[in-house]
Amino acid sequence: MIPLTMFWLIPLGYAFYLSFTEWDFMSPDKLFVGMANYAELADNPAFYKALRVTLLFTAGSVLPTLIGGLGFALLLNSKLRFSGIYRTLIFSPWVTPTVAVAIVWSWIFEPEVGLANNVLRFFGSEGAGWLGDPSWALIGILIVTCWKSVGWAMVFYLVALRNVPRDLLEAAAIDGAGSLRRFTYITVPLISPTTFFLTIVLIIQSLQAYDQINVMTQGGPSGSTRTLLYMYYQSAFEAFNIGEASSVAVVLVIGCVLLSMASFAVSRRNVHYH
Amino acid sequence: MTETRISHIFTRHLPLALIALLMAFPFYWMVTSGLKTNDEIWQFPPTFWPESPQWGNFLEAWEAAPFWRYMANSIGVASAIAIIQVINSAMMAYALTHMKFRLKGLLTALILLGYMVPNTAAYLPSYIVLSKLHLLDTYAGMILSNCVSVFSIFLIRQAFLQVSHELVEAGHIDGASHGRILGSILVPLTRSSFAVLVLITFIEQYNNYFWPMLITKSPDLQLVSAGLRSFFVEGGAYGLKWPLIMAASSFTIMPLLLLFLLTQRTIMQSVNLSAGVNKG
Repeated sequence: MIPLTMFWLIPLGYAFYLSFTEWDFMSPDKLFVGMANYAELADNPAFYKALRVTLLFTAGSVLPTLIGGLGFALLLNSKLRFSGIYRTLIFSPWVTPTVAVAIVWSWIFEPEVGLANNVLRFFGSEGAGWLGDPSWALIGILIVTCWKSVGWAMVFYLVALRNVPRDLLEAAAIDGAGSLRRFTYITVPLISPTTFFLTIVLIIQSLQAYDQINVMTQGGPSGSTRTLLYMYYQSAFEAFNIGEASSVAVVLVIGCVLLSMASFAVSRRNVHYH
Repeated sequence: MTETRISHIFTRHLPLALIALLMAFPFYWMVTSGLKTNDEIWQFPPTFWPESPQWGNFLEAWEAAPFWRYMANSIGVASAIAIIQVINSAMMAYALTHMKFRLKGLLTALILLGYMVPNTAAYLPSYIVLSKLHLLDTYAGMILSNCVSVFSIFLIRQAFLQVSHELVEAGHIDGASHGRILGSILVPLTRSSFAVLVLITFIEQYNNYFWPMLITKSPDLQLVSAGLRSFFVEGGAYGLKWPLIMAASSFTIMPLLLLFLLTQRTIMQSVNLSAGVNKG
């Protein structure tokens, strides 16, 4: 309980307080400035850019991970030889340190001789500048992020699919429902609690993504991969602008709570527990 | 061969094998790139197996930076955190599930909320707390600040909820203390959750990067991720010594891949356990 208070509850409240002050870490006094930090954020184009990148990053990592995870799980969801091997290989990226794999991926994305561009050229495309190109860098980071988490989502879906009662599907088949209809009207609703859970956890994870951005682009080129969290890190630990950083953190928390509440609202209508 | 098996080969095995290969390919690429010479790695078109594997690269990379130290730091810190978290979460979860006290509902709600809020938000103040305690740049600081996790409490709480209340009551009537009930009834019954928790926490902490990097300055204390990253950036290695970087990446992830291969059943089980979370 004590550590929970010390490193979780108090800091959270303290962060809220700090967002109303101006402080540079060094000076003994914190200047209380009220809403000034928030007003500054509201005027700061970099903030809106970071907000946009964060939303793009969230959508671009959560949706493919969910769809890919479900797709892979459907493929694996029957008595199949080697399924253990497939599952292990697909899951393995999740276990490994993000920093290590992000380094490998930055080699794969190397513009001259990197594997990604070699493959693209093989198919007749010119290839891309990837991490050095503002319009491609975020895509590069998203590929790594999805690669890392899709196996994890797949395992959740495997469990969920296993819990879909077989006789229900068989009864529907006898009634003449095709496999697509069975999937949309029986499987999808029955696995919706898993989808809901994964959505929330993945959103939180994507709002906290840092390691791969730090290794691969450091928020650049020209801010194209700077998320709110990365902005927070830069203003807190590079610029020592504690007030601004804390207000970004508060925005992040509020955004997270709003997104979770939105998911809850959607789930109330669409999630079915059996 | 029956008809379904033949169709399985095309509709299941073929796509699955392709996907699995794609997913595992970066690992293969990492290890083989680590075995190439600097010339070969820049060669076009790329070779899929190094012409003459440079096993010496691994030794050279190992010696180029204190990797044994980084890995020992990571393993030590991660183990300590895993053990403390287990004890902590067990006690918290016990209080939340099988004890009656005021504000219990509020506390549970707070923890549920904590599960939803990104813990990044607490980094800055936690940093200040640590610096006030003079624990920045120490092992103790790294371990202490990670010794509680909302997720762990949650996981163990889920497990304890499944244990019937009568069993605990029976323990009380027999005059057992809280500690005894926890140690000899609850923990043995929920062994698998604890195994999962230890493994997941260990993996997470071994891989941890952002927070340890913030609170440690001295290279001696760096964990493996930070160590690897500084090897990547410094020492003239940036983009110049790719084979060495790849070799170093390979051996830093090996302990985890091995651990995963040995314990994958348990790790996958975490899904079963935490999937129960949303059913409340």
